This record gives sequence, structure tokens and C-alpha cells, in this order.
Amino acid sequence: MSRPNSSYEPQLVNRAGETLTGDEIETLDFDRAVEELDGLNGSYAVAIQPGQDVRALLPFIDHIARFDIAFPGYRDGRGYSSARILREAGFTGAIRAVGDVLRDQLFYMLRCGFDEFLIKDAAPPEAIRAAAQRYATTYQSAADAAAPVWALRHRIPA
Amino acid sequence: MYQYDAFDHAFVRDRNAEFADQVARRLSGEITEDQFKPLRLMNGLYLQLHAYMLRIAVPYGVLSSKQVRKLAHIARTYDRDFGHFTTRQNLQFNWIKLADAPKILEELAEVEMHALQTSGNCIRNTTTDQFAGAAKDEHEDPRPWAELIRQWSSNHPEFTFLPRKFKIAITGADRDRAAVRVHDIGLHARPEGFDVYVGGGLGRTPSLGHRIKTGLKGENLLSYLEAALRVYNRYGRRDNIYKARIKILVAALGPDEYARQVEAEWATLDKSRIDAPVVEIDRIRSFFPAPAWKTGFDAAAFERAKTADPGFARWLRNNTLAHRQDNHLSVTVSLKPVGAPPGDASSAQMDLLADVADAYAYGELRVSHEQNIILPHVAKDDLYALYSRLDAAGLGTANGGKITDMIACPGLDYCSLANARSIPLAQDISRRFEDAQLTDKIGDLSIKISGCINACGHHHVGHIGILGVDKQGVEFYQILLGGRADENAALGVITGKGLSAEAVPDAIERVVQLYLNLRKDESERFIDALERLGREAFAEALHEPA
Amino acid sequence: MKLLTANRLSDGLTIWYTPSGWVEDAAHAARLDDAAAEALQKTWAARETEVVGAYLIPLKDDGAPVQREHVREFVRANGPTIGATADALARRFQRADIFKD
Repeated sequence: MSRPNSSYEPQLVNRAGETLTGDEIETLDFDRAVEELDGLNGSYAVAIQPGQDVRALLPFIDHIARFDIAFPGYRDGRGYSSARILREAGFTGAIRAVGDVLRDQLFYMLRCGFDEFLIKDAAPPEAIRAAAQRYATTYQSAADAAAPVWALRHRIPA
Repeated sequence: MYQYDAFDHAFVRDRNAEFADQVARRLSGEITEDQFKPLRLMNGLYLQLHAYMLRIAVPYGVLSSKQVRKLAHIARTYDRDFGHFTTRQNLQFNWIKLADAPKILEELAEVEMHALQTSGNCIRNTTTDQFAGAAKDEHEDPRPWAELIRQWSSNHPEFTFLPRKFKIAITGADRDRAAVRVHDIGLHARPEGFDVYVGGGLGRTPSLGHRIKTGLKGENLLSYLEAALRVYNRYGRRDNIYKARIKILVAALGPDEYARQVEAEWATLDKSRIDAPVVEIDRIRSFFPAPAWKTGFDAAAFERAKTADPGFARWLRNNTLAHRQDNHLSVTVSLKPVGAPPGDASSAQMDLLADVADAYAYGELRVSHEQNIILPHVAKDDLYALYSRLDAAGLGTANGGKITDMIACPGLDYCSLANARSIPLAQDISRRFEDAQLTDKIGDLSIKISGCINACGHHHVGHIGILGVDKQGVEFYQILLGGRADENAALGVITGKGLSAEAVPDAIERVVQLYLNLRKDESERFIDALERLGREAFAEALHEPA
Repeated sequence: MKLLTANRLSDGLTIWYTPSGWVEDAAHAARLDDAAAEALQKTWAARETEVVGAYLIPLKDDGAPVQREHVREFVRANGPTIGATADALARRFQRADIFKD
């Protein structure tokens, strides 16, 4: 019998499956970011809870190096929309998934524009690689480079 | 019908590999039941009262004879020799082993089928008119659009963990046989584009969809849906499972405000990346050509058969629909023989359906949301031979649209959510009205039975709706009157106190007798008389023995 | 008194706890005193690779389940009632004594 994956300490990995070490960047909560970012210099991380509108932060995006998007329970899918909205708005910094992050969500997160994962798993690098290679066919455009299947069928450049 | 290309095959293969891995991890203990549950549900695997139930997607209700033979094989090999066709145009197997599920999915993939997104809080199987491509009143074939939506919604990365399940229905005919106003999103294709309805649904808070857009061009359908789903994903309630459907969000915001937010979201999207180009829509359309119609019609022989066999004449009257080809009809094969569970078919019956579809119906079948099988195109010259073979196999019941053509969910006999049994009640009612002459005299009348408030039996839109409730461990049934699911959709209203199972057939008999006494003439249907006379008179008859 | 029931992980079938292991026939379910039942339920709730959703059915002194549970537990114990009333089914399975009224 295997050990449940949720019993592992969360590990931070990037989309290449490389382990990242902790960083010193200051993290603001959403309310503080909305109120204060305009007057701050430098680069911050902002923690986003489900239900908080990332569009409110778009005016200050130059001050934001990273969004930490929370998944308090893994059935709460609001974080996927938050990440896509940020990528559609042109945000090129890091988007990190934190909270209840398990290997079965990684495929969706990769497609929605997440590139860092604080994940609970026996083998996080292997989980990321497996998720990235899981599907040869993607039916829709999203935030990643994968072409929708209609573009491949008709050789339409992305 | 649509045929997979290498991309579609690869997708299903990859999906099945992922699920096989998830099953293996569950069996080994690497993931808990709590974690596994949403994963298995996304593949249509439920744990019910007695065993696992596997719900197989029948995309927009369309099946080939080859697929039906595969379903028969699965019923024989992995289940107890039968399957159950559902009100969502899908098929359920009730006695599946967890360890067999990956193997079953492999078998399904061989015939271009899967169980993906038949449960879970994701975009479910798009449903449509069971007479698509055949009906005389159709101006746009909904099947290519339903296939386009199927592909777009498959494994959608943003919409796999929605607040709640999401159901889309689409019709392209004047008469709405797809009940688009009781779906999360309903699409009605018109010459100038799609009418979009949102926020309809049954369940705990039944409501009719609001039209939020007209004239939506097909080329922009996917990006508009993407915007509509994103607003729902972000703002739909997640604190209370009973208030999580989009109808609650639309009611809270108001349809106009919801529509405004969708337009605003739509304006931000890069439509050229999301919308499939016309060349792809045309490619999908090319899979739905009209068959090479058989020609000719021997009217004299047809009339002779009708005269010689009154059973055939009656079946023609009740179970066929006008076809766009004058020498063809669409046929409803009733899965409601007297006293049998509505929607069940044995493996032998499935094999026979596949055989007659090949012999007489261009190899094509449909599942209707009334839980019957449709043969959409049958040449009139073949009808008697078809009827004879169906009848010999117990599939010739001539009750299409009649009082015994009931919808019933699986109820407490199988379902772990149910409060009361549905199927035994349907059986009792159908025995009460088994007399063919009486059935025909009563005419069109729909009874819809749900074993709980989740309304899988669509009780709100039955002319007579029946809702099972639990009172301290005893089953009771509330009766609704006046619902309808057609283009004049209306929600039935609960009448009086709940009745015991034994009392229901008597109550319905009293209501039907009252209708027969009060109707203007035979052309006034039950629902018309009810609307003319008001519910009160009928409600009284329900609850007070005459 | 209580019965302990669950579904088997591998095939999902309804099973019943007896001192010599889990069985499919509800007629052999052990009538457990409350303390023992609670302890066993806790133990089996954690053994998720064997059974799913282990729970207790409370019984009245006469051996019937408390009323709130009656229909569901009867169907669960006896299988689908399709084509037969509950009474006919109980007679067929000779199980009227498991959950008597």
C-alpha cells in the first residue's frame, strides 16, 4: 500500500520539473496590493484568493513579479480563470499555484498559464513531466503554446 | 455521423491512460477516496447503492449500429446483461467493477466512444433534438454544432472545476424537442444566428432560461460560450451546493447584468484563437450528410399491411413522425413496454436494434431524452418488416408520447441520492393504463417521475410530474400538474400533500377520467384542457376520491 | 444495536460486517453493540483500499432499522425491487427478519 500523496510536505517546482528554493520576495495580500501598490517601488508577489478579481491589479502589474494563486480545495476552479486572465492581459511574470495542489490538476494548470507549483506528491518533478506529456491533442487554445486541434487539422499557424 | 481522426483517437487514448493510472493509484492507496471521487466522476463512474455505475456518453444522442453492438457486448461481458438509457441521452451500466472500468473504456474507444464528462462539475454531454437531420420543421442541423461544442469542451483546462455541472442543449427546428429552456445554456439555431438562453434548469430551483442574445453567429459560438462560462466560473456560488448552478447566479445578477458581463468578457477574448474557423465547421458538417435515400413507395402494399395488422396501424399512428423525405418516416422504438423499467434494454435487444438499424435505417440510431430509441430515417416500404421484427423482440410497444411512455430516473432502487423509488411506481402506473384502447383515447400525456429533488426524471416539465420524497423513512410522492418541455415550456406546480405509492395510480386515474369528461373533443390534449380549465379542478381530483 | 455496512472498493458491491469478515449477504450481518460498532466503524473508515464509505445502521430494539433509514436500507440490503413490491421481495429472499417493521 502506498502512502497518500496528500501526506507529503509541499515542494516547489517549476514547469520544467526543477525544484525551486524559497525566495525572499515580499508577498502582499490582495487588499493591500490594491491599496498600496500604486505608491510602492520594487517588485512584489501578490497572494490571490478565489473570488478576488485579478483585473483590479492590472494597473500595477509592473510592480508585480509573481502571483500566488490559492487553491484552498482542489475542486475550486476559480484560480484557473484568474491565471488565464493574467496571461491574456500580457502578464509575463511567474504565476504560482499554492494550496491543495495535486498531480491530477497539473495538466489544467500548465495550460492556464501557471509556471510554478507548490505541490504535495511523492515525486513532483515526475508528476510535472507526466502532466506536460499527458495529452497529444488539445481541443482548445489556452494560455500555453499548444495549438487547438483545428489549427493542426487545417495547418493554420497559431 | 462524426468520425474520429487521428487527433480524436489520440485524445481518448491519452484520457483513458490517465484514468487507468488514477484507478491504479486509488487501488494502491496513493490517493484517497475523497481525492479519487471527483476524478472517477469526471469519467462517469459513480458509486451507487449496490455497485459502481458507469455512465457512457452518447454524444448528442447519436449512435451507430456498430456502437450499439459494442454496448451490448459490454452489457453481457461486464454487467448484468442490460443497460439503462437516460434522460440525458446517455447509457448507464449499473453493475460495474472498478477494476474493469479501464478495460471497458478501452473497448469503447474502439468504437469512438468514452465516458468523459458524464459527471462532475464540468461541461456535460450536449443534448439535442433526437430527430435532427430528419424532421420536417428543421432549418439548421444541430449535430455539427453539438460536435463542435463537444470538442471545445473536452478537457477544457479552465472549466473542469466549475461551481457545479453545466448542461448545454441545442435545437435547430421550430418545435423545441431538446427542451433548451431548461438547460444551463440553451441554443436555438435560427436563420439569423443562435438565440442564447441561459439559467434554465430543473432540480431544487426549477427555472426557465432567459434569452440573453439573439443572432449569435456560429463562427463566434465558442468564444461566446467561453465568455459565458468564465463569468459563471468566477462568480457562481461555491458556498452552497444547492445554489451553485448558473441559474442562481443569473437570478442574483439579473439576466441583463449577466448578459452585460458576458459581453464585456467576450470583448476581452482573442476570438481568432478560440473560435474554430469556417473550414473546421465545414469539415465537421461534412460528416452529417443525408443518407442515399431509398426511392419509391408502394402505397397499396402499405395500406394492405395496415388493414391486415391493426397492431401495425396503431404503432404507425403513435410511434412515427413525418420525415423531410415524403417516402420516409422517423420511428420511435419504445423502451416502455407495460410493466418494465423505463429506458432499460437487454443486450439481446441492443443487438436486435443494431441489426434492424443496418437493415432498415441506414445504420443510424438515436437516444431520446424520453428514454426511447429513435430510428431517424426509415423508408415507408420497410416499416412493416421493421415493426414485425421489433414486435417479435418485445420492442413493438405502440405508446410513443402516450401516458405509459413515462420518464423515470433510476430512483432509490439504484441511486444513492434518491429519497424514493421511481421505477416500481412507473411500473404500477403503466400496468394501470395497459389497455391499448384506453391509452389511445387519452392521447398525448407525459408523466415524469423523479426519486428526489435533483429531478433527473424531469418531473417539473411533465404534464403530470411525480416527485419522490422521504418522510421518516417512508416514501411519499408529490404530484405536479401543468409542466411542459416544448417550445411553450412551463414548470408544473405541486398540488396538495404527498401520496403513498399505492395511492398514486388511483389519483392519476381520477385526473385522467376528469380530463376525458371535460375535454372539448378528442383533439384537445390533456395539457391543453388543463391550461384552459386551470389546475385547481384537476388538483382536487388528484387528492379527493370522486 | 447496529449493523456495519460498506461497499467493497474493487467491485463496489454492498457488504456487511461479520466477526469472520465482510459478506455480501445482509442476513449474516453481525448485530453489534453500540461501543463495538463505533470502534469498528472508525477502524474500517481508515482501511480505504479495502472498503468505501463504511457506516452504521442503527437498529431498534426489535431489530428493525430506525424508521428514517428504512426504505433505503431495505433496498440496499435486498437489491433493486424492480418488478416486485418490497414485501414480495422480502418473502422471496426470506429476509423479512432482517429489517422487520
